[in-house]
Amino acid sequence: MPDPQPLVRGIGLTKVYGNLVALKDADFTVMPGEVRALIGSNGAGKSTLVKILTGAIAPTLGTVEIAGKAAPLGDPSEMIRRRVSCIYQHSNLAPAMSVLDNIFLGRQPTGKFGFVDRGRQRREALALLERHGIDLDLDATVSNLPTVKQKEVEIMKALALDAQVILMDEPTGWLAASEVTKLHATVRMLKARGVGIVYISHMLDEVFAVCDTMTIMRDGKVIAESAVADIDRPRVVHLMVGEKLARESERAAHQKRHPRGTGEIRLRARNLTKRGVFQGVSFDLYAGEILCLTGLIGSKRTELVRTLFGADRFDSGTLEVEGQPVTFGTPARAISHGIGFVPEDRHRDGLMLDMTMTENLAMAMLDRFRRGLILGRNRMVEAGRRAISSLSIQPPDGTRPVKLLSGGNQQKVLVGKWLNRSPRILILDEPTVGIDVGAKAEIYGILRRERELGAAVLVVSSDLDEVMTVADRIGVMVSGRLAALHDADAVRMDEIVREIGEAAA
Amino acid sequence: MSAGGATALPELARRIAPNALPIVILVIVIVFAVAQPAFLKPDNLIGIVRQVALIGIMATCTTFVIMTGGVDLSVGPVLAIAGLVSYYSLEADLPLALVVLAGLSMGVLVGLANGAVIALLQLPPIIVTLAMLSIVRGSALILGGPEQHLIRNEPAYSFIGAGSLFGLPFPIYLFALVALVMILVQRLTPLGMLVAAIGDNETAARLSGHRTRATKTLVYAISGFGAAFAGIIQSSQVHTALATYGPFGTELDVIAAVVVGGTSILGGNGSVARTLVGVFFLGVVNNGMNILNIPIDIQLIAKGGIIVTALAIAARRA
Repeated sequence: MPDPQPLVRGIGLTKVYGNLVALKDADFTVMPGEVRALIGSNGAGKSTLVKILTGAIAPTLGTVEIAGKAAPLGDPSEMIRRRVSCIYQHSNLAPAMSVLDNIFLGRQPTGKFGFVDRGRQRREALALLERHGIDLDLDATVSNLPTVKQKEVEIMKALALDAQVILMDEPTGWLAASEVTKLHATVRMLKARGVGIVYISHMLDEVFAVCDTMTIMRDGKVIAESAVADIDRPRVVHLMVGEKLARESERAAHQKRHPRGTGEIRLRARNLTKRGVFQGVSFDLYAGEILCLTGLIGSKRTELVRTLFGADRFDSGTLEVEGQPVTFGTPARAISHGIGFVPEDRHRDGLMLDMTMTENLAMAMLDRFRRGLILGRNRMVEAGRRAISSLSIQPPDGTRPVKLLSGGNQQKVLVGKWLNRSPRILILDEPTVGIDVGAKAEIYGILRRERELGAAVLVVSSDLDEVMTVADRIGVMVSGRLAALHDADAVRMDEIVREIGEAAA
Repeated sequence: MSAGGATALPELARRIAPNALPIVILVIVIVFAVAQPAFLKPDNLIGIVRQVALIGIMATCTTFVIMTGGVDLSVGPVLAIAGLVSYYSLEADLPLALVVLAGLSMGVLVGLANGAVIALLQLPPIIVTLAMLSIVRGSALILGGPEQHLIRNEPAYSFIGAGSLFGLPFPIYLFALVALVMILVQRLTPLGMLVAAIGDNETAARLSGHRTRATKTLVYAISGFGAAFAGIIQSSQVHTALATYGPFGTELDVIAAVVVGGTSILGGNGSVARTLVGVFFLGVVNNGMNILNIPIDIQLIAKGGIIVTALAIAARRA
């Protein structure tokens, strides 16, 4: 296709906040039918660039040309009119409404008297589905759809706006492996129809699987552009994280494993069952080990670990903590037995986003900072300062609201709030979803340090690279059962993949 | 250069925004004082504080409810029924301490009921407390009937609302005490932080090991306590208990004071100190307009406009 005109071209984009340069002199183009990866650590400037392209903010300097013409900046409706759409990491759908309603949300075609013209809506939607070969039930309620279908609804929404360029921010963050494949098929189809796609992701596997070109950012600058075919993975990681972190994560990958840790059983589950959810789960978790539970999304790992923490109840079976039979009615009881829990969705379940870092770090510790009736704010601030420095949270400012932190630093806060308690058992559900390679390495470092300090660490993870990197032992859950339990040294990744897929096939 | 000029004004606004309301109060006070010098007389200023004492006690005590993301619409009838309970306790010749305790307990009980239903059954606070408003008003009418109950020859009880100490009306001291205690509870105790945490993210608070249900129940009990306290002071002040005291609209005045002060109606962000500022803001506006002899119809319209304006200014700080 000899069409040299880029769909979008950003020239010399710079964004300055106060004395922080978030984006410096960045050039960026997307051609028709191009899938361009935009990658970089948290804080590299990706989101600033994306916000400029969606019109959410205006750059301090620089211009954006769309189809060769300079576009007005800092106005989202202008960008949508110029056929640039964005699919955000967190869903922007109205969950209780139908697929059809969501596609036309806020701009329903109207007939006489201003009533919504449902017939026309449906005809337009069907035509769109047909044209793009997407299969969706227009009458389904969005909240009943699997996550990947919800993403397709968002894509449809963008296409209904006649989008020529679609920015996808971490589109697979919440998807299972099989769903990722489906989403990628959709991406390829859009590409074949000449849509330009910007694929923002921390998942390098996906970048290599679906993208044509990549733009790598670090510290607010575009530091490399390349065709995907011309670059390899280690080089990409190296460019993304820089020298020092690259060496660290390399070293971390070759650490010694400690299956069954010190040999002391911290938590013993026998035949744990929650009817219709998980059945007959038995395992031991030892002090000084990291046990990873992997499996498909929907294999009920989250549900299982929530009951271990007392956030939900199980129906039958027994649970022992340090040899003592327990039934936790509330998380508070589990915490008093030395258990800490990092939930999967940090925004929904984990953080008080409007509260400060110090307050979030103290949230599980208020009893420790209390003297009589009084909360010791000074000790709280002091403990916060220590945590911020030992976890190297950036920026190291305890008074900053957590919502202003990058995902990786938010996650460090969420993990960090348990560490001052010296947890005997630490449970983490998908601790690195949506955070960059550098922050992942740091989280792994924290988990290993807790293990060395004698904690029993239980990690739920769908990311097999992560499982193979940090696990001392690996449990595979399939449809609510613990299907296998391995020493990590004695098993290869492809065996795990086969076990994960067994019941799903 | 032009960029610098364009950012200077928003920058100024951003710095002023957190203190916008106190500044607005100051401006309004100056306007009133110029228009009518009597506004600044000590008697009038004391009068303002005395007038806002009842709403102020209720507003400071309900701030935690709003910080948790809830709301308490039942304060008006609670005010009435607490007065009645105190009246009947006086009739039964109970000692003053028990009279007051009985009135306050009534409020706390209603609050506990509100809180327990909201926290345990996970029902929306606006509906639960609306239902409670109706239930308590009905109960007050059963208890007190339609007639006024005069409180005579009870000097100790009457001192609560009508007495004065060192030249200041006694309710002012009670208001100051409640406000001080609530500010200290918020600033110094874990409860203060937990209330904001629940309003921000209740699930996260529970997963951090907090007893969120007990806490939510407690904040409604505090709100009920405040309403009952106001009811006791009022019945003492006017020497009367009546089932229809705290008429429809009382709860809106209370909520307006909290929210105009800058506590988010969605929960999370807020403080008792801000509520105090909101209380005084509305008090000054009311008093000033009265003193300027602005007709009541215009007053109501102006008050609505002023509330929205104050909220719009406060919203800029976010």
